[in-house]
Amino acid sequence: MNELPGSILEPSGLFDAIHEGRSFDAVVHEATFDERSILEIEKLRLWYGSSQALFDISMLCPEGKVTALIGPSGCGKSTLLRCVNRMNDLIDTVRIEGQIRLSGQPILDSGTDVIELRKRIGMVFQKPNPFPMSIFENVVYSLRIDGERDRGLLEEVCEESLKGAGLWEEVKDRLESSALALSGGQQQRLCIARAIAAEPEVLLLDEPCSALDPIATGRVEDLIDELKGTYSILMVTHNMQQASRASDYTAFMYLGRLVEFGPTQDLFLQPRLKETEDYVTGRFG
Amino acid sequence: MRRSGNGTGRRKRRLETTKRVRLAERLATGLITAGGFGAVIAITLICAFLLAVALPLFRRAQASEPNEAPVAERAPRRVFPDEYGVLVAVLGQDWNLRVLAVESGQVLEEIEPFAGLSRPTAFSASVDGRSLAFGFEDGSVRTARIGFESSFPIADEVPAELVDVAGGRVVEFGNAIWQRTPEGKLRREALDFELGEPLQLDSASPVQRLSHLDDDGDQTFVVWTRDAGPLFVQAESTMNLFTGESETSLEERVLPYDRESDSAPPAQVLLTGTGREVLIVHGDGRAERIDARDPANATVAEVVDLTPEEGERLTSTTFLVGRSTLITGSDRGVIRAWFDAPREDGATPDGKALVEAHTMRGPNTPVVHLAASPRSRLIVATFGDGTVQAYHVTSESRLLELDATDIGSPFGARILPKEDHVLAFGSAGLKSWEVDFRSPEASFSSFFRPVWYETYPGPQHVWQSEGASDAFETKLGFVPLVYGTIKATFYSMLFGTPLALLAALFTSEFLDRRLRAPIKSSIEMMASLPSVVLGFLAGLVIAPFAQTALPAILAAIVTVPLALLLGAHLWQFLPTERRSAWSGWQRVVAMAAALPVGVLAAAWVGPGLERLFFAGSIELWLGGKGAHSIGAWGLLLLPVSVLLVTLVGGRGYAAFLARRGESWTRGRTARVDLLKLGVGLVATLGVAFGVGGLLEVSGFDPRGSLLDTYDPHNALLVGFVMGFAIIPIIYTLAEDALSSVPEHLRLASLGAGATPWQTAVRVVLPTATSGLFSAVMIGLGRAVGETMIVLMATGNTPIMEINPFSGFRTLSANIAVELPEAVQGSTHYRALFLAALVLFAMTFVLNTCAETVRIRFRKRSSRL
Ligand SMILES: Nc1ncnc2c1ncn2[C@@H]1O[C@H](COP(=O)(O)OP(=O)(O)OP(=O)(O)O)[C@@H](O)[C@H]1O
Ligand SMILES: [Mg+2]
Repeated sequence: MNELPGSILEPSGLFDAIHEGRSFDAVVHEATFDERSILEIEKLRLWYGSSQALFDISMLCPEGKVTALIGPSGCGKSTLLRCVNRMNDLIDTVRIEGQIRLSGQPILDSGTDVIELRKRIGMVFQKPNPFPMSIFENVVYSLRIDGERDRGLLEEVCEESLKGAGLWEEVKDRLESSALALSGGQQQRLCIARAIAAEPEVLLLDEPCSALDPIATGRVEDLIDELKGTYSILMVTHNMQQASRASDYTAFMYLGRLVEFGPTQDLFLQPRLKETEDYVTGRFG
Repeated sequence: MRRSGNGTGRRKRRLETTKRVRLAERLATGLITAGGFGAVIAITLICAFLLAVALPLFRRAQASEPNEAPVAERAPRRVFPDEYGVLVAVLGQDWNLRVLAVESGQVLEEIEPFAGLSRPTAFSASVDGRSLAFGFEDGSVRTARIGFESSFPIADEVPAELVDVAGGRVVEFGNAIWQRTPEGKLRREALDFELGEPLQLDSASPVQRLSHLDDDGDQTFVVWTRDAGPLFVQAESTMNLFTGESETSLEERVLPYDRESDSAPPAQVLLTGTGREVLIVHGDGRAERIDARDPANATVAEVVDLTPEEGERLTSTTFLVGRSTLITGSDRGVIRAWFDAPREDGATPDGKALVEAHTMRGPNTPVVHLAASPRSRLIVATFGDGTVQAYHVTSESRLLELDATDIGSPFGARILPKEDHVLAFGSAGLKSWEVDFRSPEASFSSFFRPVWYETYPGPQHVWQSEGASDAFETKLGFVPLVYGTIKATFYSMLFGTPLALLAALFTSEFLDRRLRAPIKSSIEMMASLPSVVLGFLAGLVIAPFAQTALPAILAAIVTVPLALLLGAHLWQFLPTERRSAWSGWQRVVAMAAALPVGVLAAAWVGPGLERLFFAGSIELWLGGKGAHSIGAWGLLLLPVSVLLVTLVGGRGYAAFLARRGESWTRGRTARVDLLKLGVGLVATLGVAFGVGGLLEVSGFDPRGSLLDTYDPHNALLVGFVMGFAIIPIIYTLAEDALSSVPEHLRLASLGAGATPWQTAVRVVLPTATSGLFSAVMIGLGRAVGETMIVLMATGNTPIMEINPFSGFRTLSANIAVELPEAVQGSTHYRALFLAALVLFAMTFVLNTCAETVRIRFRKRSSRL
């Protein structure tokens, strides 16, 4: 892999290779190898029925860091994210090859306890999806399903998680009122609170701010900033600023392939591929 | 032109479109509004129609202005009115019969039946007054028939003298009485009196009291003779083959009687309806009831006081039609109705007791005379002060109060055979009213409150609209029908609702997406199965099968769920890879396989259990054979016991697993789970049968209350089949409600690490509550109104029992069965319409409640 100065990149012809269906190696920055990884994705391939959506994805998610997935719409970011907590199992037509390891344990085997896995990997969806229950019940849902009945503990966890999600001050007086009465931004932070109440090892965020206004987005970004360290976060975003502000590492995907993966700084300021540069600077297309 | 106008043209076109859209809009709005109002109006009209037919039931009886006429008759022995209220025959003190015109009081004809014979010393008449009997000094009796024969001679046969008879006038001509009817026809009425041959009693002692029963020529008499006391006399006619004459032989038996009392004859001897019971009534109200089923060994069954009040005296009696109910009147103006009711305690040798079932209180003057209608349970009572009151005995309601104070000292009053006239006789005249009793047996309380019918042990809710004999009384209690409706609904909902809801939950939450559509549509196909077919299957196929396989079926209630549970627990032993690899159709197949396993197990253990607990046959056991009831109690208590054990044990087990089970391997957990199932099963059975045993020891037997005799066409069967009828409706609506729960809620729950079951129970079900609720309510509505299945699958016996093994009759089935045979405009007919109204009210109340609850659910879930 030859290193080229940032401004005078030549088109690598990589997209052509993709379009023609030739195989190629993703550009992975060496800095990523230095990190302790929590998730290791190995040669992941995924088919929806007969159409392939992911092609040989191999990458690492560093522990305690925020990893952003960027790429044009339909390139497979959500699909990849769903592979990690095996939400793709719910789609009948999906077929997967390759492996993902969570702290070294393979998770794509049929022997994996999916329920337990999902408890270790929390997920926040693109659209806020609080349950039609009270705020309190929403937050402690994961404890409820574990059969926790100790009210004191539940209240403690609820308060902690809401504080962690930066929502406590706004809702502490109406914990018993409906979660659906919250604003979109509040609902999304509630969903984050719900996810972190389970104390997962990894947090998957699929475009968590796409439904939010700039102020709410800012809040959530601040929140992501606070959460990192405690949680390893894998996040999908379409917002380049957000990726550059909030993430430590960034992966650029294109048509089901990983194109370039490296520290966010490097990927945004000194990408090694012309295609990546075009995409992050908005000259793509 | 065109080109230049293009711009405006386009604008115009656009304007036109707007107009059209607006028109369509207005049309649609109009149509929808019309449709909505139409529906409301239709329902209102139906209601109005039902009301219009049913309401006349509650009209009060009416009487016209009376017609009064002076008569010279003093204290007639008995009056015999004709059918039309025009003529009345009177048996006078001189034993002569006189025919009077009601309108004028004029004597039209006089017959001397006993001319040349000795005068009778005793006399009795049937309730309808057509059959008479006379007793004589020489110890003989004679029967007689009396009645008005009416005919409408054709014009040629009308005597010339009568052609000009004016309307309303009554004339006597040639042994008959002629009258021009309001329709202009000439009617000839002739009193027909026929005195029978004398029947000589052996005792040849003067007959002092007499009662007789004429059952199609078979005569039975009870005779009080001066010297021999009471005799029970049966007359049998045999035809002499040679002479062609009939000979009558008498069989006399002396009835037991307490001869120590004074030698004066009793006030009355009475032969009751079947001719198998005799009442000897004394002036002080004491009555001996003699059981004469076996005339040779007749016994005094009991002595009853017909005047229970202190110092009360009996003044008058009559039988109601059918002669089973005796009406007594006293000097206090109290009218009582007595009949034989079953008596369980064995205090009377025949197991019956003459009870005072109904009491009616008139004015505080003596009841001078009582007369019963020949066709129903109406009576008219004449009081000492000259008032005449009409009562309906069963409902104890006073229908009419007529004033006959102006015709001298009252003698009595009668209801005419068609119940359209009341005729009162006094010492100075007679008075007649045209009356309309409407529906005397119908009242709110007779429809909805227990009523004491003849021969019943006490007031009861009874529906029985048709009977064999004239004396039969229609019993129109709606409560058994409402009860039947509720029972049918309850059992079908008990069976159908859980199945439908669980099936809906399974298809919407657990079933492979590809299988969903075919399964849903095939269950919906079930709805198109005509209920006649289901009813037919139930009545002719399932009922006989269930009867033979009853023990296995009851055992299956336990074994099938158990087989499923066991299967689920064994499934846990599969290696994880297998389980996830087999999570598709293989699992469905495995689940389906549990069913035959459970059924086979039931077929295997059922007969053994039957031998062990039910003395070898459940059917016979239910009928009362065998003493042990522990098995039945165990089965009955099983659901409660299951709930108890799962609640208590489940909690404890969860806590135990949380403490200890963390580190266990899958296999170990599966083993412990299986062990838990075993322990739970033993505990459940132990609790159920333990409590059952305690109940048995303390002397409680479910038979007679919770359970009773087995009828193959029973409530369980209807519940099962009707359950099938309502499953598709509930299923479809419930499935829709569940599928419409947003997918993102499921994803959120699953993503949080909830199992599909937890997701279904904690997120999907609560979100879909209002939809599920309306699904159940619509199923309920269908069950309440369902007709064909109940009609065909039950015996349609309107009984009220909790017993799941007995039949019932629902409101709707009752209407279907009886409406075609009800006479239009009759009380029965109107009562059926009232039943329809009751059914309508039931579903209306039900739906309204359901809707309110549903709206509250929806509000709550939308607030959340
Ligand atoms: N359930 C599914 N069944 C079939 N194909 C699917 C399914 N979900 C996604 N796909 C296809 O897989 C490809 C990747 O989809 P994915 O949702 O992962 O894209 P994405 O990168 O998340 O896009 P976006 O940024 O718009 O969310 C797309 O071509 C999409 O059409
Ligand atoms: Mg996406």
